[in-house]
Amino acid sequence: MSFQQTKVNLKLPFSFILSSMIALVVSQWILFQNVDLIAEGYYRTPALWMAFHLLILGFAVMVVMGAMYQLVPVAFLTPIWSERFGFVQFGVTIAGVLALSVLLGFNPGHAVYGGALAILGIIMFMFQMFMTIRKQKEKNMMTWLVTGALVFFLLTILAGFLLAWNLSNGEILNHESLLRSHLLFGVAGWFTLLIFGFSYKLVPMFSLSHGYSMKWAKPAFIIYIAGMLVLVNAFWSMNQLLQTTGWFLLFMAFTLFLLDIREILAKRSKKRLDRPFLFAMISVYFGWVIHFLTFIVSILLPGHSKIWGLLIYLYLVSWVLFSILGYLKKIVPVLWWTLKYADRVGKEKVPMLKDLIREKSSVIIYSGIVAATFGNVIAVLFNSVTGLQVFQGIWFLFALAFSISIGRILTK
Amino acid sequence: MKVSLEEQVEEALYEVIDPELNMNIMDLGLVYTVQVRENGEVYVRLTLTTPGCPLHDTIVGGVETVLYSIDEVQNVEVDLVWTPAWTPDKMSRRAKEMLMF
Repeated sequence: MSFQQTKVNLKLPFSFILSSMIALVVSQWILFQNVDLIAEGYYRTPALWMAFHLLILGFAVMVVMGAMYQLVPVAFLTPIWSERFGFVQFGVTIAGVLALSVLLGFNPGHAVYGGALAILGIIMFMFQMFMTIRKQKEKNMMTWLVTGALVFFLLTILAGFLLAWNLSNGEILNHESLLRSHLLFGVAGWFTLLIFGFSYKLVPMFSLSHGYSMKWAKPAFIIYIAGMLVLVNAFWSMNQLLQTTGWFLLFMAFTLFLLDIREILAKRSKKRLDRPFLFAMISVYFGWVIHFLTFIVSILLPGHSKIWGLLIYLYLVSWVLFSILGYLKKIVPVLWWTLKYADRVGKEKVPMLKDLIREKSSVIIYSGIVAATFGNVIAVLFNSVTGLQVFQGIWFLFALAFSISIGRILTK
Repeated sequence: MKVSLEEQVEEALYEVIDPELNMNIMDLGLVYTVQVRENGEVYVRLTLTTPGCPLHDTIVGGVETVLYSIDEVQNVEVDLVWTPAWTPDKMSRRAKEMLMF
């Protein structure tokens, strides 16, 4: 195989990642401005819809798309199907996400139009990825996990579109069941399967691990999907036993994934792990605990909406966002280093990747984000608007600090 | 004392660094074969610590750059292979000391 085949125009992933940083900061600012709604449990309000969609679509999805434009060609040893199409997809997606978020915030009745544009961008992305993955010569477990994630992404946006349709034209489907399915497909199906998939590549790469088995990857994939199918069934049939069974299956699958990650880390050669990568690894443990708590809550407090709201928040933030924030500080330096220094190797002295990251400030930022996240949870549990103001304010400041630290990498 | 082309080539390869590990590719044990052929042709067979490493274009490009900077080298062929797979025991003692302890 020629090594030239996997080269990608790095401006493409950077376009996604840099715009995602703005969405992260703005979403945290809107949340900060509306902490009273969160404290009172009014999650389904235009301002919070806007903040959540900016956070999930504008930040998490955009950053994942950018990372995939870089990771898929190198990790799958397969070139991107069309870079030009990628730039068009970026334009359509960012316009759609912005339109959807703003319309949800100020004119929810017309959100379906923004949603349609966002969906078009996402479908273009999926088409790009399917065309790329299709060309991969030797499929592996990572291929299945990423493909599974993309399928759930498609289901997420279909459910999201139906939700927006419900808002615009009156209910055609059970809104509650549809909302639960939308959240499950998006948060668990899309993000979790994707993080599983890329972790199997990134964890050994960043820890220099060899001789690990990945023996639980296939059962974890199958059981996680089975768990989601059971849960969707439970949401629409309102069957409590099925719901608990579904959450148990997700917990089991996550446990198997964790066992694989522990084995990979145990067999690593690099003893001292970089702080951002270590943070991504800690998020795996957070994810495992959240899956366990979800299973327990489904037995003990199945109808407690506040606790479920907090679990969704913790699932999304302490597992999905923490993973992304951890990996991002490893991925961006690689991208920037490649863009700026790759052609200078052998001609002059070039910096190392670690020179691009400030480890000490990373530890402070990640610690602040963890403290703010759990502070938010405690504040909601005790109905403390002041507590939420303080901790969401801290979240906003550290989100800003994180974005600045990513920007600083690009000055080196 | 005149340094042979073989020695110059090997010395040059020590300048190619894996920027993630902060270690040159020779000490990492990534270079499997170095052949200096007639008419200044150099053949290098190497691998990476893991298939799908985002830096593989960079490292292969770095090898070409350092070798073409040697006057006698006319043509460079870099063969990136995945078998046999790299293992940590291919590292030099220096690399092991830096990374594993």
